[in-house]
Amino acid sequence: MKLSLYLEKDTLIHRLDPRTKIVSSLLLILCALIFNHPLYLAAIFFLILLISLVSSSVKQLLKLKYLLFLLTFFSLILWPFFVKGKSVLFYLLSYPVYKESFYYGLAMGIRLICFVIVGLIYVSTTKNEETTYGLIAFGLPYAFSFAISVALRLVPTFVDTALTIVEAQISRGLDLESKNPLKRIKVLLPLAVPMFVTAIRKTNMLGVALESRGFNPSSKRTFYLQLKMERKDLIALLSVLSFSALCFYIRVFLGLGVIIKGRI
Amino acid sequence: MAESISFDRLSFRYRNSESYALKGVTGSIGEGKFVAIMGHEGAGKSTLCFCLNGIVPHFFKGDYSGKTLVNGLEVKKELVSEMAKRVGIVFQDFETQLFSTNVELEMAFGLENLCLRRDEIKRRIDYYLSFVDLNELKNRDISTLSGGQKQRLAIASVLAMEQPILVLDEPLTDLDPEGRRRILKMKDNLKERARVLIMVENDPENIIGSDEIWIMKKGEVISTGRPEDILKNVELLESAGIMVPRHLFFFRKLGLKEIPLTYEESLRLIHEKGYVEMKKERPEIPENICTGGEGIIEFVDVSHIYPNSNYESLKKVNLTIKEGDFVAIVGCNGSGKTTLAKHACGLLIPSKGKVYVRKKDIRTYKRRELASTVGYVFQNPDHQISNYTVFDEVSFGLRMLGIDKKEIKGRVEEALWATGLSGYEELSPFLLSKGERQRVACASILALKPQVLILDEPTTGLDYVHQKSMMEMLKDLNEKGHTIVIITHSPWIVETYATKCVVMKDGRILKEGPTRAVFYDEETLKAASFYPSTLTRIANKLGTKSIKVEEMVEEIKR
Repeated sequence: MKLSLYLEKDTLIHRLDPRTKIVSSLLLILCALIFNHPLYLAAIFFLILLISLVSSSVKQLLKLKYLLFLLTFFSLILWPFFVKGKSVLFYLLSYPVYKESFYYGLAMGIRLICFVIVGLIYVSTTKNEETTYGLIAFGLPYAFSFAISVALRLVPTFVDTALTIVEAQISRGLDLESKNPLKRIKVLLPLAVPMFVTAIRKTNMLGVALESRGFNPSSKRTFYLQLKMERKDLIALLSVLSFSALCFYIRVFLGLGVIIKGRI
Repeated sequence: MAESISFDRLSFRYRNSESYALKGVTGSIGEGKFVAIMGHEGAGKSTLCFCLNGIVPHFFKGDYSGKTLVNGLEVKKELVSEMAKRVGIVFQDFETQLFSTNVELEMAFGLENLCLRRDEIKRRIDYYLSFVDLNELKNRDISTLSGGQKQRLAIASVLAMEQPILVLDEPLTDLDPEGRRRILKMKDNLKERARVLIMVENDPENIIGSDEIWIMKKGEVISTGRPEDILKNVELLESAGIMVPRHLFFFRKLGLKEIPLTYEESLRLIHEKGYVEMKKERPEIPENICTGGEGIIEFVDVSHIYPNSNYESLKKVNLTIKEGDFVAIVGCNGSGKTTLAKHACGLLIPSKGKVYVRKKDIRTYKRRELASTVGYVFQNPDHQISNYTVFDEVSFGLRMLGIDKKEIKGRVEEALWATGLSGYEELSPFLLSKGERQRVACASILALKPQVLILDEPTTGLDYVHQKSMMEMLKDLNEKGHTIVIITHSPWIVETYATKCVVMKDGRILKEGPTRAVFYDEETLKAASFYPSTLTRIANKLGTKSIKVEEMVEEIKR
């Protein structure tokens, strides 16, 4: 079963240098952070959605539709209780609900979704090894970058193991379908123990396996994948940069895109 | 001749272990040699391999005495990553060796560490991937590969480093016979370049081509010699807990002086003795005999497509498993064996078609109800062991079903007795050997008293003695009335124990029927890349009704 999020495809976004993708992702996240007006955030959202379309990672997005829905829903419901606006929309049991805080909640929902999509685009178009190389190119030590990429790599492996463990325990009559919350907590133990045992066995052997293949963090090595900043990288970077500059200008110099002042 | 490796009174005891894993191993291996190491589980074979590149004592610590020299270097004094330039090693548990995103980058990792140039890395990746027939999967995510494909990748990624010494610790366990042949073929290639090959392998048929065999027992090398001498020494092999090719017994029982090792030699011999000519006098082997019992599991036009996949892993499969059958499912990696078996216990639901258990649609069963009718033992026992004592582990399912304590105690005792684990109640399952853990997993399913017991590769990673005790236990259960279904790659297990055999390929059933009839059709087996043992091929040439040694001898002598 395929569990990792990376999609082997050949799109413009896949072909970009990982450094371009890291910088662009951070910039887009920053853009989503400076506004708190739902309209402006919606504009950013559509741009990100467009990029997602180009990178053909929309399918991945659909897998997360419940998560995305929940994020918007809860942010819409919860924020009005915590931020005060100006114009009262209606009273809920003598508690005022403001129009602005309602919009704010909507904006926060869109913002979270933007984060998720940006992250998803990055992981579904970038191999772990490319991330390692990208981080090294930014001046991080090899050992550190490698550790991060191995950690990322282990996630799907563990998910895979977890799924097998669930199957193995169900076939012995473990009741995962119980509605009783106390019972549901109790069933976690038979799942957690084999999970930890296999995880510890695996990571123990990982160090052995790495060194057996000649890995030594402090000695020299060559790199098979090659990073190359090309014209398309420059164009992509320039576009994202100018978009961010535009956002910054609108927010700081024009003072637009804010529904509730004094809040991020 | 130049000496590549030498052991000088090498002993090692793992920290926290009472007995020595290696006891005074002394010996040497010359350039260009192929040495096979055989021995029972826990004989110290893997430990000896680990000593060659310094994993013992650098990673696995303990009492280390004596010396291991590789090309004149004392291993203990070198870093593992330095030794890796001279010694390549594929672990028994090869999955721990793989950690990259895709096949190509996994291959590149070791080569990058050797500081090779990019074009050289590319050349080697292409060369060695085509050697193990994985070229088309170059861009595949490793987690989507089958067990056999992963094993081939682990071997190729080490081979590509082209070290002078190559150590393979049971490299053929997950491979289908065709894959095995490919790996075994490389020995000539290595010999030409004077590279040393050390292979831990317990199936004699795979190491007939070696230069020397070392037999290990309880941490000692008890015998070394040429394969012709060692493999014919039935007493020696048996005393070390190693499987003896069954055709040796056959020729012995026939009272012949000459004992042939390979199929070709055997063929010559039976022709010389005129046994083949007698074939005409024997009746034909019947194609399809219907054996008793009601159908207990029925597959009707079952197709299955995994989520996120666009091809059918099962294609319109029809199969009836009858009460009291002992069925073996064989076929190469990725042929749909496990997918089929998981349908029989409701772990998977067919995308199309129906599965019936006792004539009732499997979808109408409740989980618990099904668990006490069909039990499924997973390949890796570590995926289910979750309790601190064997008793708790085995009684787990019973407690889930809410059965009272008295009854539980009786059932656990029974299950432990059936698996040969009586007296283990208070031990921790985590500290048992792999073979024992496998039996605990089996006992925990047995305690539920399912009518049907499905086991996914129950003997993988076990040595002959444990394989045999596992299979004898299943045979016993079968005789008591349980229906047994196993998935396996071992020809001898199917031939000796299964009454029925299902051959699968590309999600379809290629052939099914009584084991004898299926194994008579060597062409079909070959199409599913499954090769019967030498004994069975001899039986086919002779046209005997049985493929068991005693009965074959009887038929011939009649």
